[in-house]
Amino acid sequence: MKRILTAALLFICLFSGCTREAKTDKDIFSSNDTEISHTGNASATREIFAMDTYMSLTAYGDHAETAVDKAISEIKRLDALLSVGDEKSIVYRLNHGEKADSEDVTFLIERSAWLYENTDGAFDITLFPLMELWGFTGEHPAVPEQSDIDKTLVLCGFDKLIIENDTPEPKDGQGIDFGGIAKGYTSQRIMEIFREYGITSGVVSLGGNVQCYGTKPDGSLWRCGITDPDHPDDTSALSGVISVDDKAVITSGGYERYFTENGKTYHHIINPENGYPADSGLKSVTIVSADGTLADGLSTACFVMGKEKSFAFWREHPELFDMVLITNENEILVTEGLKENFSSRKDYTIIK
Amino acid sequence: MILLISFVLIGAVILAAVLMSSQGGAYVEIRVDGKLYGSYSLSQNQTVDINGIGGQNRLIIENGRAYMQEADCPDKLCVKQGNISMKGQSIICLPHKVVAEIVADDGANENNSVDIIVK
Repeated sequence: MKRILTAALLFICLFSGCTREAKTDKDIFSSNDTEISHTGNASATREIFAMDTYMSLTAYGDHAETAVDKAISEIKRLDALLSVGDEKSIVYRLNHGEKADSEDVTFLIERSAWLYENTDGAFDITLFPLMELWGFTGEHPAVPEQSDIDKTLVLCGFDKLIIENDTPEPKDGQGIDFGGIAKGYTSQRIMEIFREYGITSGVVSLGGNVQCYGTKPDGSLWRCGITDPDHPDDTSALSGVISVDDKAVITSGGYERYFTENGKTYHHIINPENGYPADSGLKSVTIVSADGTLADGLSTACFVMGKEKSFAFWREHPELFDMVLITNENEILVTEGLKENFSSRKDYTIIK
Repeated sequence: MILLISFVLIGAVILAAVLMSSQGGAYVEIRVDGKLYGSYSLSQNQTVDINGIGGQNRLIIENGRAYMQEADCPDKLCVKQGNISMKGQSIICLPHKVVAEIVADDGANENNSVDIIVK
């Protein structure tokens, strides 16, 4: 009977010319409630390939179409601004000795400075020369010579970067890359656009970096599945689910980007102390925070710092974020703030 | 006239109901650069050749699962992504801007389902 009703509705939809997007949204985000409380609440979904990844956006509200269109424009604008490879981007020009001014860069530099200072240098935007040396910026990454790593390390370090009037001025051989916070900053900007256009519910995934606006249309929390680092491509093998509203949920893991050489795996999250892929005993770090930029930066920083330092940092700032760590031994460690919001079929430990 | 329209409508509804029950509701939606390329029932074994941006992908639907069999993209990550069968799962080929996503899974696993995957 339910099927026939659905089919009837489908046909009424087809005849009355309602878009197929609306149908898909309802299917993807359908609730257990049989009654849809927000009838007449328009929705819009867009997807875009940008910042070297796949992004999808969904918003509910009377101005949902306009809001997602504005969000897409903002993604394109920030991609063009922050790309390290695009000769016209501000970051490229800064890295090549030009002076360039941008409010976004000013903001990102402030955040980068805070993250660098508060994470003991684990988050560092000046590691770009090392990323290039390892070949993570191109198609053919490979393990560099130790002597080259040593030479390149000398060029890195946020404390060595000259900053004049909030504008970074990388010198010979130095280079900056906001890749560790760019997507989090972008999703944060999209939340501001959603607010501006009176969006009632929304969710974005920028290459797996998730940020939720409000609750789901039915008032329940967004259920965010945390990828199992041992089976990153199998979305049915999740490590757990975090239910949130108005939060960014962002994971860093060695499984995201890596290459194998002589049987050993090398991932793309570089430890600024030795110039090698971070080996702190963690498989992944998921940060939950109301601030997308912070969540993005901290996911990288905590992955580099390891569990003890990450928990010490969390105990100093429990109001700013919560996190889920998965260790090399497959322990799942969840900070106390997520006690009511985390679920998993596997064993996990609440950290206080 | 009204009678005729009602008749056509009822016929269409019955046809749709029969079609949907035989499909079990789940299908693979393929999008290229954000535009719908096609929807394919998961319950019907078939091969879908996809003209992506700058290259080709071949999706196989077999026994209720879908996987990318081959692609002429440089990294072949889409081929390595394996099978998908549950609502919300997707295979993404970044170079060709191809997304294959499972949609409308009739709500059987509603309680376990997630809204979005963080990775």
